[in-house]
Amino acid sequence: MKALENQNLGNKNKNDEQLQVEAARQDPARFAELYENNFDRVYAYIASRVRTREEAQDATADVFHHALASLPRFEWRGLPFVAWLLGIAANVLSDRWHRVARQREIVADDLDQIGIEDDIEQRAILYQLVDTLPADQRHVIVRRFVGQKSLREIATELERSEGAIKQLQLRALQNLRDRIKL
Amino acid sequence: MANITLADQLEDAIEIMIAEPDSAPPKVDLKIGELLRVAGELRLLPDPNFKAALKAELLGQTLVMPMAVFTDTHPQVPQLQRRQAPRDARLEDILPSLFKAGDGNYPVHRGNFAISAAIHAALIVLIATAGFWMARQPQLTPHATSVLLTDISTYPLPLSTDKTGGGGGGGDRDKLSESKGSLPRFAREQVTPPAIVVRNEQPKLPADPTITGSPELTAPPTSGIGNPLSAILQPPSNGTGSGGGIGSGDYGGVGSGQGPGFGLGSGGGTGGGAFRVGGGVSAPKAIYDPDPDYSEEARHAKFQGTVLLWVVVGADGRPRDIRVIRSVGMGLDQKAIEAVTQWKFEPAMLDGHPVAVQVNIEVSFHLY
Repeated sequence: MKALENQNLGNKNKNDEQLQVEAARQDPARFAELYENNFDRVYAYIASRVRTREEAQDATADVFHHALASLPRFEWRGLPFVAWLLGIAANVLSDRWHRVARQREIVADDLDQIGIEDDIEQRAILYQLVDTLPADQRHVIVRRFVGQKSLREIATELERSEGAIKQLQLRALQNLRDRIKL
Repeated sequence: MANITLADQLEDAIEIMIAEPDSAPPKVDLKIGELLRVAGELRLLPDPNFKAALKAELLGQTLVMPMAVFTDTHPQVPQLQRRQAPRDARLEDILPSLFKAGDGNYPVHRGNFAISAAIHAALIVLIATAGFWMARQPQLTPHATSVLLTDISTYPLPLSTDKTGGGGGGGDRDKLSESKGSLPRFAREQVTPPAIVVRNEQPKLPADPTITGSPELTAPPTSGIGNPLSAILQPPSNGTGSGGGIGSGDYGGVGSGQGPGFGLGSGGGTGGGAFRVGGGVSAPKAIYDPDPDYSEEARHAKFQGTVLLWVVVGADGRPRDIRVIRSVGMGLDQKAIEAVTQWKFEPAMLDGHPVAVQVNIEVSFHLY
């Protein structure tokens, strides 16, 4: 019974995604929904394959620009939309590596074989969970890992003690660990 | 207290992880290890500002700069700095007003319409009146034409039937100058050069000694063959020249010239200098005759005129010894000489051989 419910839910999501793609084809402004739904997965996929945030952001921007431009040529092949995006991401990364290290380029036929790996999905979920943290914890995590600020700098920004910020960081990471285990 | 220790340990490990992302994770206890793995996953946590800025850029709401990082100073303002322009940037992002992306969003300024209308009206009036202005101010175009006068039979310098130019000389490298005598017969073609002292008395193919020139030309016979201009009567000598003949010149003639003729000139015939057209000497034909330029001075003064040049056309077809016979000034003489210097001719012919001839060339400068 539950399996049937999951299947129905999957079909519903697929239908919703199809509608979003069609809407975006008609009106590029509707691409926003596809972007919001898939940004974290694409970014997580790229982040697991590059070394710096700058590279990850650069490649992610390329992927979505390319996707927006290529949307009229998108064809449903029984895979979720994100698989197509990850295929573009693979090619974007391959192009970059090819330029730098002459690595093997992934050809179009390989795109169907690119699946959503578990660790990518888990990392994407983790990124989403950060947004659900309490505001002060979220602020510490973002400033610490995105802004690369020291605890002292964050403490100065928030006008709190360094020890308090250290505790907020600990609690935030514990929260994330507990939620991702679920 | 335990939590403080845990937080300190965690912070120390995170500090190392951030500072040295490529190094192996520090050895920590299990509780810290789990949290450190989460922290490791967050090392490249997406910047919320980047996400918002990219979205805005994709939707054409934000146009910005080169890619990179986000500024910390204004985290609430999404500013995506791109290292490279997006490959598929759309035209409406580049020229929003032209491609209607911003159609209707711009205020209307009546002053702009007035200025635009005034400029258009001025342009229309200018175009409409340009024809009248051109008609009143005709531009005189300078032209120049050149004529080789020896090709024109009616010109006051008619082709000669009894006189040719040219000359020749010879000798057999004797130590003495040639002795006096009368000229041999003129013939169109020379078989045997003349000689006062005959070195070969029994030639295998005997022929009368002649010099090249129009057969109508004759010289009064005096005594034996010799150079009529020589003052030496005896002893007989062919002269100090070379190539046979008589005199101090070369190539089988009589005199000090070059060639099988008589006199100071060259190429046969007599009279000195180059041949004139006529008497068996054909006229040269210009095969490359570019027109001269108009001089600036004459153009400004709207001056017209005709320059007459005297030119020797060599056996090689090239003009030389160009002289101005009739000058008009205003720099046109020099322009005429510059042009004729570049001319090339089919050389004049005498008995099938190219010879140098003197010709007149008229160069006319007109404004029309």
